[in-house]
Amino acid sequence: MSSSSAPSSDNELNPNPSPKPIEDELSLASVTLTESNGNGSVNENSELAWGRKSSEVEVEADGSSSASSSGYAGERGSSSETSNSRIDEDEIQEVRNDDGFGDGVHYSQAAWVPGKRHVDEDDASISWRKRKKHFFILSHSGKPIYSRYGDEHKLAGFSATLQAIISFVENGGDRVKLVKAGKHQVIFLVKGPIYLVCISCTEEPYESLRGQLELLYGQMILILTKSVNRCFEKNPKFDMTPLLGGTDVVFSSLIHSFSWNPASFLHAYTCLPLAYATRQAAGAILQDVADSGVLFALLMCKYKVVSLVGAQKASLHPDDMLLLSNFVMSSESFRTSESFSPICLPRYNPMAFLYAYVHYFDVDTYLMLLTTSSDAFYHLKDCRIRIESVLVKSNVLSEVQRSILEGGMRVEDLPIDPLPRSSISHHLSQQRLLTDSHEGFSESVFGIGGPSGLWHFIYRSIYLDQYASSEFSPPISSPQQQKR
Amino acid sequence: MGCSGSLPDRNSGRLSGINGSESSGAPDAKNLRVKLVLLGDSGVGKSCIVLRFVRGQFDPTSKVTVGASFLSQTIALQDSTTVKFEIWDTAGQERYAALAPLYYRGAAVAVIVYDITSPESFNKAQYWVKELQKHGSPDIVMALVGNKADLHENREVPTQDGIEYAEKNGMFFIETSAKTADNINQLFEEIAKRLPRPSSTS
Repeated sequence: MSSSSAPSSDNELNPNPSPKPIEDELSLASVTLTESNGNGSVNENSELAWGRKSSEVEVEADGSSSASSSGYAGERGSSSETSNSRIDEDEIQEVRNDDGFGDGVHYSQAAWVPGKRHVDEDDASISWRKRKKHFFILSHSGKPIYSRYGDEHKLAGFSATLQAIISFVENGGDRVKLVKAGKHQVIFLVKGPIYLVCISCTEEPYESLRGQLELLYGQMILILTKSVNRCFEKNPKFDMTPLLGGTDVVFSSLIHSFSWNPASFLHAYTCLPLAYATRQAAGAILQDVADSGVLFALLMCKYKVVSLVGAQKASLHPDDMLLLSNFVMSSESFRTSESFSPICLPRYNPMAFLYAYVHYFDVDTYLMLLTTSSDAFYHLKDCRIRIESVLVKSNVLSEVQRSILEGGMRVEDLPIDPLPRSSISHHLSQQRLLTDSHEGFSESVFGIGGPSGLWHFIYRSIYLDQYASSEFSPPISSPQQQKR
Repeated sequence: MGCSGSLPDRNSGRLSGINGSESSGAPDAKNLRVKLVLLGDSGVGKSCIVLRFVRGQFDPTSKVTVGASFLSQTIALQDSTTVKFEIWDTAGQERYAALAPLYYRGAAVAVIVYDITSPESFNKAQYWVKELQKHGSPDIVMALVGNKADLHENREVPTQDGIEYAEKNGMFFIETSAKTADNINQLFEEIAKRLPRPSSTS
């Protein structure tokens, strides 16, 4: 439980300047990083020249530590050493306290329970006011559409207040983007008749929170398309809540992903580590299917991509992939049988529905076939049967299961001996999908000193729209601070 | 299962045309294949009825259906015909109402479900009946189902209302409970009996 933040009786406007500005760090190719552990006890300053060109290094700096820290630079053998790692753990703890979850459920991903919580709350409840990160969607007439906590209908008054702020500023020919009130930031995003607001005391930078609102809006578009705006043209007081009936879980799971899924701020997706041949096999059959009139064929394992194929000239934006996989994974009904459902990819075409055939091969692995044709179900079903038989024959599904069990890359596994292994080829450059990411990575991390100082890394390739990261090892189970 | 070309699988092995809208498309009078669509307000238990019928399961945690789910189940009748139901379990949410034609187009059977504890859902059922009378196949077999019969203590829609409405509209009526499995198989057997046989082609 983290009640360290002041109870926020001042959710209203209170024009205090923000107490803590946060460092934004964007490091482009060939940066030199100086490692320190953020608590003053600098152990070793290792320098690294990132050799790969045109790659972007995402540095995770946490606001409470010194600026140039990469956030999780710890002591040697930090996971086992008590005294020092204790300090580090506290630091992380503090960072964690800054995230949006006051109820402590979220220490590990597995503990997160989907669904709407605290429906009984409203803006009069103290518990509601103490929540660290609120998200609201409302209409331009002030009608609540979604609220992360509490019952939307009970929050009508509060929504009206938010609407009043926005329209007051708009009447002056201006736009409100951000209000700082003590520890709290109130971020506004106006999308036509839809207003999105985030109230947060998590010290995340404005850009991050705004990006989260954009994704929240995108998730709504995925469910309804942008043509929902027409309802407001016909009737400005249109009540949208019935249209979104049953989608609370989709939004709450997206909001939860802001705190653990790097895809939500990197605008990139990640792949399940697999052997080259396995991925080739999966890719080949998906390609086959895509040639038969399927717009996108995705084989995913949870939020990681196994293989992805698009029809000619069609490309899938990583944000759309995040929203789509979040939608599918948070909607339990997809697991019971094969489904055919309209969905909209906001980055592909926000005005039109596509049709998604969704089928789970096992608990984690699912296939999504997207098409523009509303009566393609039986065709897609046949495609799925073909894909499934190939995947079974070539053991792709069992390899996927094995990869899940093995988990991703771990910083502890990095070789200590810094032999330059430049001969390792990267399939990365030509291949859409990551193949031997393991080796590709250890190479780039050698300079830091392998296991000695490195807690975590994320690498994002801007050419591929992909990222790769290490698993979080104890004591970091789910770090928060995200920077661009 | 299914060691090669034995009888009942013959239909599913065939490539079903892209829009699969053939109602009882099997040429074979003994092995019917039927497209069935479930319609009704959200939360009345459409998915529960299907899962009870297809898998014999009941899951009390409500899972909101997205779009529509597709399941199939084959039953054998006493006259040794088999009927393979290809079931479209549609989402009851309002946002999918406009898409319903996608699923009921070409359906030979429509099962319209309401919750006996909810008069609202009974109204919604009547809406669906009218919609199908206007836009469904003319020879569609319709069934009106009052679900959650186990909750009779909270009943708000009298059985008589259901019977009367069904009679007026030439529908088959039954009250079921997906929870206790009451009348679930009967529902589908009764439907199967009422199907037009392929000999009298439509």
